[in-house]
Amino acid sequence: MTVFHFFNCAILTFGPHAVYYSATPLSEYDTLGTSVKAALVYLGTTLVKLVCLATFLKVSENDSFDPSQELLKALIGFVDVAGLYFASTQLTHRNISQNHKFQAIGLGWAFSDSVLHRLAPLWVGARGLEFTWDYILQGVEANANLVFSISLAALGSLMWLRKNKPKTLIPINVCAGIVASMPSITSYLRWGLGWHFSKVVGFQLITSLVIAFISWQLFSACQKPYA
Amino acid sequence: MESSKQGHREVLESMYSVIALIFVLVACVELGDAASAVDVYRLIQYDISGVPLGSRFASLNHHASSMHFSPGADLSRTVLVIPIRELDLSFVKEYISRRQPLGGLLFLLPQIFSFENKEGTGDSDKHHELELHKNSLLELEQSLVHANIPYPVYFAFEDDNVNAILADIKRNDASGQQATATTGGYKLVVSAAEPKKIASPVITNIQGWLYGSKADGDTNQLPTIAIVASYDTFGAAPALSVGSDSNGSGAVALLEIARLFSILYSNPKTRGRYNLLFGLTSGGPYNYNGTHKWLRGFDQRQRETIDYAICLNSIGSWDNELYVHVSKPPENAYIKQFFEGISSVAEELGVKVGLKHKKINISNSRVAWEHEQFSRHRMTAATLSELSVASGLLERTGGLSDGRHFVNENSVARAVKLVAESLARHIYGYQGKNIEIFADGSSLAINPSYIGSWLNLLSQTPRVAPFLLKNDPFVLALKKELTDHTDEVIMQTEVLEGMFTFYDSTKATLNVYQVASVTFDLLLLLVLGSYLIVLFSFLVIVTRGLDDLISLFRRPSSRKVKTA
Repeated sequence: MTVFHFFNCAILTFGPHAVYYSATPLSEYDTLGTSVKAALVYLGTTLVKLVCLATFLKVSENDSFDPSQELLKALIGFVDVAGLYFASTQLTHRNISQNHKFQAIGLGWAFSDSVLHRLAPLWVGARGLEFTWDYILQGVEANANLVFSISLAALGSLMWLRKNKPKTLIPINVCAGIVASMPSITSYLRWGLGWHFSKVVGFQLITSLVIAFISWQLFSACQKPYA
Repeated sequence: MESSKQGHREVLESMYSVIALIFVLVACVELGDAASAVDVYRLIQYDISGVPLGSRFASLNHHASSMHFSPGADLSRTVLVIPIRELDLSFVKEYISRRQPLGGLLFLLPQIFSFENKEGTGDSDKHHELELHKNSLLELEQSLVHANIPYPVYFAFEDDNVNAILADIKRNDASGQQATATTGGYKLVVSAAEPKKIASPVITNIQGWLYGSKADGDTNQLPTIAIVASYDTFGAAPALSVGSDSNGSGAVALLEIARLFSILYSNPKTRGRYNLLFGLTSGGPYNYNGTHKWLRGFDQRQRETIDYAICLNSIGSWDNELYVHVSKPPENAYIKQFFEGISSVAEELGVKVGLKHKKINISNSRVAWEHEQFSRHRMTAATLSELSVASGLLERTGGLSDGRHFVNENSVARAVKLVAESLARHIYGYQGKNIEIFADGSSLAINPSYIGSWLNLLSQTPRVAPFLLKNDPFVLALKKELTDHTDEVIMQTEVLEGMFTFYDSTKATLNVYQVASVTFDLLLLLVLGSYLIVLFSFLVIVTRGLDDLISLFRRPSSRKVKTA
């Protein structure tokens, strides 16, 4: 029964990635390699981030919200953007279109994030007898994170991959900035304002949808002149 | 070739260690994931001459239910959680006597019964409630202890956490849903190994002497008066059997008497013409087995020097009347003398002392009073107790309800005064004279704080003999205390013989899990499945168009053909 629950939570956490891959043209163009490479880059980025956090951050005794520390954390969080930049520009990919490339990178990115951050707690916690909503919420969070990653990759591809850049980068930059600082925002909501986890997840879900819509609009707006 | 093999093996070995590490990690993490952990105390498990009694199981893994379960429900996989406040004794008794199947029983004791609870019970209302609980607890304890219960029975103390869970369980039950695997609720888990027999339980007697003085110096020829109290307990939950009254009060009184006489005997001028022998005996609930062993250890000559023994038993909660229980006819010179002495002191103190004579039956193995063990060894003895009649086997032996709140240290102090005063008058030959030796305010006054602190210590120490170690800190503390007041303290360790067999695992941790039902998980699976299908369809429509989606379902193979 509890293994059943674990199974459910795993579906919620990792299912959308698989569905995304198989439903979109990504599967037709066999972009798995790109995703795997992006996942590896994510792994490296996370390591760099960890080293940075361990070097620069004080160990706080409690879970209180310390603005200066959080700011530092947010800055370190931008290492993610650098990693994503590396993944999108420096890696040699097989000849796949820009459209598919950013999706594949975003997907790989989100998937490895889910595996790294959510698989172990899920395995340990969701199989226990005790029932909590936490693991279901965590799965929902993984969904929101997938949307964020793909949005960020899309915005990144607009910024870095176009040979002829869009006329104004400002909305794109703003959007990307918001997405990149999302972990800090959620952390602020959680510890700074003391929101309940379910509320935080709901907020993430809604913002992810909004961001997805905006970046889609931006993307298609940039697409038009060349279409 | 060789080296590559070597390398291969090394890789394999490192893999094993990694796998082992992962297993260890998983195991470690899984230990502490319960919503709440509650300390629980198991009902005693023991055999009397091979007849199994008490709770026969320790491990528990069932759903919880309150007393409001739907009638006719199958309870064989359910733990009934019963607070003592709402105890329905007749129901429990009937359930036990008819040997109905049950997953387990969890009794919730009011916090006031916890020996860690330091709050007083000044409130008279509260005190009345306590008395009420005490009686039902006594009855419950007897019915539990004397039955063979084929499922685990635990006791726990109420606290906010437990009460919240209980309220939740009640709400579930009230809504008419039987808590089973399909409707969720709470699961109570105690993971305990199967109880094992305690190989050879030991009982420890402690004795100390105060030697009197005699002109020519040979102390062995002096007559001896023994003061004896058993200090161990027996109760439904061994880890909760502190026995403040039975017989903590007797042991405390003995220590205080030893202290008082040690002051007198430390000065050669006031040293009496009697030897005093103090004996703290164990095995009291088991027909005074320890006393039996102790007396057997004396040789005939020593036995003959003992004039009489005074046994102290349950003297902590009397108001006005104590009883002297004897098994020899009251005409016996020593008994007459002792009773007259104690009566005259009692008169001065304004309390009553009654004499109760009950002949012993040698053929019956039951020894109801400690003095009967002396009588069987042809020694004169009397028991001083607040109880007017002998209790049955394993009755009034310091069980669940025998806590500090029911013992009045003034009662103990008065009993000490009674015994010490009459004893001193006898020793110094002041019978009938109105001389108060242990007068209040003098250097020989009874020390209520000494009595109080020892009572507190005993009321926090479970003392069921088979579960006391050979060198238990408590036993050593008793020995040290006696060493401070008397000479030649000897600890005698004996194996508890007879018909009793005990089983271990008296304490455990109960994990309470809030569990979801299988139906919930099924529903969740359904929701997730439809979510993924909708997501899939949505993505296909957005990225490839509706036609693609339809074609996907119509001709699953067409796409493959196309791509091939």
